[in-house]
Amino acid sequence: MTRHISLAGWLGKRAMVTLLVGLSASPIFAEEGVEILRERCAACHTETTTAEESAYFSRISDQRKTPEGWQMTINRMIHLRGIEIPKEEKRSLVQHLADTQGLAPDETEGFRYLLEQDNNRVEAGIDPDLEQMCARCHSAARVGLQRRTEQEWQYLVNFHMGQFPTTELHAMARDREWYRLAHDELAPKLAERYGLKSEAWEEWLSQEKPLLKGSWRVLGFIPGKGEYDGRMTATPDEDGNGFMLQMKGRYADGSPLEGEGHARVFTGYEWRGTLMLGDVEMRQVLAADAEGETLRGRMFLADSRRLGGEMNAYKDHGGAEILGIQPGYLRLGESGEVTLIGQHLSGEVSLGEGVRVEEVLERSDDRIRMRISAAPEVSPGARDVTVGEATGDSILAVYDRLARLEVEPTNALARVGGNGGQLDKMRVAFRAVGYAAGADGEVGTDDDLRLGYMPADWSIIPADEAAAHEQDAEYAGTIDAHGIFTPGDAGPNPERPKSANNVGRLKAVATVDDGADQLSGESRLLVAVQDYVQRVLD
Amino acid sequence: MKSSLLLSSLATIGGLMLAGIGASAAADTTSSKDPAARDYREYLLTVTRPNQLQVIDMASNSLLRSCDIPGPFGSGIMVPATDGKTAYVITNIWEDVVGIDIRNCEITFHAAQSSGNETVKSFQSVAVSQDGQELYTVQNPVRLMSDHYEVLEPRLAVFEIADGVGAQPVRTFPVDRRITKIAATGTGEVILGGGDLQAINPETGEIRLLEPLQNWDRGEQWMTPDAFAMHTQGSQANEYIMPYSTARFTDDEQDMATAEWWWGISRVDLETAESERMEIAPLTEVIMNFVTDPTDDNTLYGVFNSVSKIDISAKTIVKEQPLDHTYYTVNVSRDGNTVYAGGTSSDISVHDAETLEQIASIQLPGDMSTSDMRVAIIHDTAP
Repeated sequence: MTRHISLAGWLGKRAMVTLLVGLSASPIFAEEGVEILRERCAACHTETTTAEESAYFSRISDQRKTPEGWQMTINRMIHLRGIEIPKEEKRSLVQHLADTQGLAPDETEGFRYLLEQDNNRVEAGIDPDLEQMCARCHSAARVGLQRRTEQEWQYLVNFHMGQFPTTELHAMARDREWYRLAHDELAPKLAERYGLKSEAWEEWLSQEKPLLKGSWRVLGFIPGKGEYDGRMTATPDEDGNGFMLQMKGRYADGSPLEGEGHARVFTGYEWRGTLMLGDVEMRQVLAADAEGETLRGRMFLADSRRLGGEMNAYKDHGGAEILGIQPGYLRLGESGEVTLIGQHLSGEVSLGEGVRVEEVLERSDDRIRMRISAAPEVSPGARDVTVGEATGDSILAVYDRLARLEVEPTNALARVGGNGGQLDKMRVAFRAVGYAAGADGEVGTDDDLRLGYMPADWSIIPADEAAAHEQDAEYAGTIDAHGIFTPGDAGPNPERPKSANNVGRLKAVATVDDGADQLSGESRLLVAVQDYVQRVLD
Repeated sequence: MKSSLLLSSLATIGGLMLAGIGASAAADTTSSKDPAARDYREYLLTVTRPNQLQVIDMASNSLLRSCDIPGPFGSGIMVPATDGKTAYVITNIWEDVVGIDIRNCEITFHAAQSSGNETVKSFQSVAVSQDGQELYTVQNPVRLMSDHYEVLEPRLAVFEIADGVGAQPVRTFPVDRRITKIAATGTGEVILGGGDLQAINPETGEIRLLEPLQNWDRGEQWMTPDAFAMHTQGSQANEYIMPYSTARFTDDEQDMATAEWWWGISRVDLETAESERMEIAPLTEVIMNFVTDPTDDNTLYGVFNSVSKIDISAKTIVKEQPLDHTYYTVNVSRDGNTVYAGGTSSDISVHDAETLEQIASIQLPGDMSTSDMRVAIIHDTAP
């Protein structure tokens, strides 16, 4: 078994080497990267010179990848090919390769969930060829986040044949000429779709990169803790390796959130942070927009990367902004407490038609906690919220009846673990999203009004009769009040037929009270055995 | 898995290993109901982790001997020689073949197929000619260059068994990719189980098609079969079985949900090298392997989570016996009276072929995982 080091594991609070913040391909740093390639890689990867007189290393120069992609490549060279490279040099090399042979922001579009480790999803819209040839083992995103020449894609096929020789014997391979199809047909297709050269990349390389230091207003969600808001300050570190981070804020229940850490930026926009929130180590995988106004992505637990939630950060330029409201819904004829989140908020609060402020409970420039109420007879719908000059478009949903409850993720995978085994349990965090029927009064149509995440009562039930017969709901795990599912212990269970592991096919059920009614939603949950191959990217 | 059982069985192995093979095989006919009175003895062979050949006396269902196999575990695939005295096992992660005398654990043959920067794997493919002179593997070579792999064409490699330790191929012939289990026929051919079922002449390299699978042409109504089997266990009926699963669509939309799902087999008579292909039973449950009753070619036994008995002409599973855990592979005694479920874990479950009731369990010192479970038959008295 190969245990990969997680990216954030070496992002490091003690980074020693130079970092290209804002990229701009400074010749000094680029030269350092080339020197490392020359020193550590050129014994096998022949160095020549391109027409533009820059250094070209066989194979390496024909690929572009994400920072995680390059990290996996170097890990493979260490574990499979026996190269030796000190940690600091490895860090510099990933930085150099991600900066000079990375992916433009547009090229990661649609696949960021893989970088964000938000893997509880069924990928949709994959080309059937790609699905059967590659995505039967990998995520399609793993492929979609690489750029290679045709020969490089073919070398990648050959690598599979050499390193994982039974690839062509798997189901969906043994019934076809897998190698010929992969090498002769799929590789050219991939080179066309995910080729080495692209306008997006050329453009990004030549572009001024965003400056990311400063104060950021942050909003997000952490499973088990809830929604939070706060400020994150990014101060360039002493060594010029990235940013020292300070995060301070509070969760929706009022409890404090406080942490410190470090972030590095790859390819000019790929933000990778690691910080301690209390005694919990967290990772941030965020992408900066081209202007450096926002950082969007996900923050998750370092030791359970599937447990995390969205995180959005907004640069503080001193202007007034409304960024969100927690919770973002209110039932007609009812009153409730909400927190309006923004920065530099001043002036009068307006909540739209039929909604008014009953009482301001707490107010600062960044947040306004208040009791609000909705009149019983106004029309339901999304309301714009304004504070002075600042507007939050359609951020408050006023609704008549909760019509539909969805559970996210809709398809989830947990894995048994612990019990003295090598791997921890792989948990899943569920959330319930409420919808009203919208103007047409019909549930499940395009105009359904999204109300937002709602607190819910959580339970698990067997997925079907067979799962009920196997008593999966009794053995496969438990779900807590926060919607966090913890799978059962690893290993054969003598209580179960055939001493089966504590695997199971379940549904996670959320139930929410809506006036006198109750509404439920459910998600499919598969509890599987351990996955001993721990990949940086699945 | 089952570490406590492993320890207790280890304690008994020392004693069992002192017992010899075939110590008192008397002359008799193969039809004798008294195993001791027959002119042959049957030995069940399998491989357990970390890498040992286990030799089991099928008359007493007891472990006789555990032979260390050089190198790391391959996949536990093997073929017994025609005289039953040697087992040829694929080891060293599919790269080497070793011949082990099952009577004394002596290594009599060793072909290391990889050399230099060329890695050669044989996935499940090892066979011995019926005259016991030649050994065959299908080699899948790749070459590791300074910064990339080259994928080379697969080939049938022919070894002289007499070359013993250090044997090198005496002939090679190009073959298709994706060939797994192979078997030698009485006509001097080697059956190649891959995308289709083929036979190759190991003298000339000439290949003929026996049964099309990936290239079958049964019209739009039938799904291309998924044909694959890890294990070769048809020697008791002198046959080679390649199982497959397929679906017969009930509409023009090729809707998997409404399709009829079938198990099927391509089966080769190893004496004549004649083949047939047929659906055998509805695919209502997973069956990992099939073996034919040597006394009745209309009856098949299968295993996975149960032992099942299949009537081919009726295309029905006629009897089923649930098992205490999953077993990957199956074999049967030559008299057709006893069915053995093995592989996966560290015990072999022994069943009465008529009732499918469990009649014994054989505990081994390690897990079989993907290993073969084959029968060696020795006719003369062993030393």
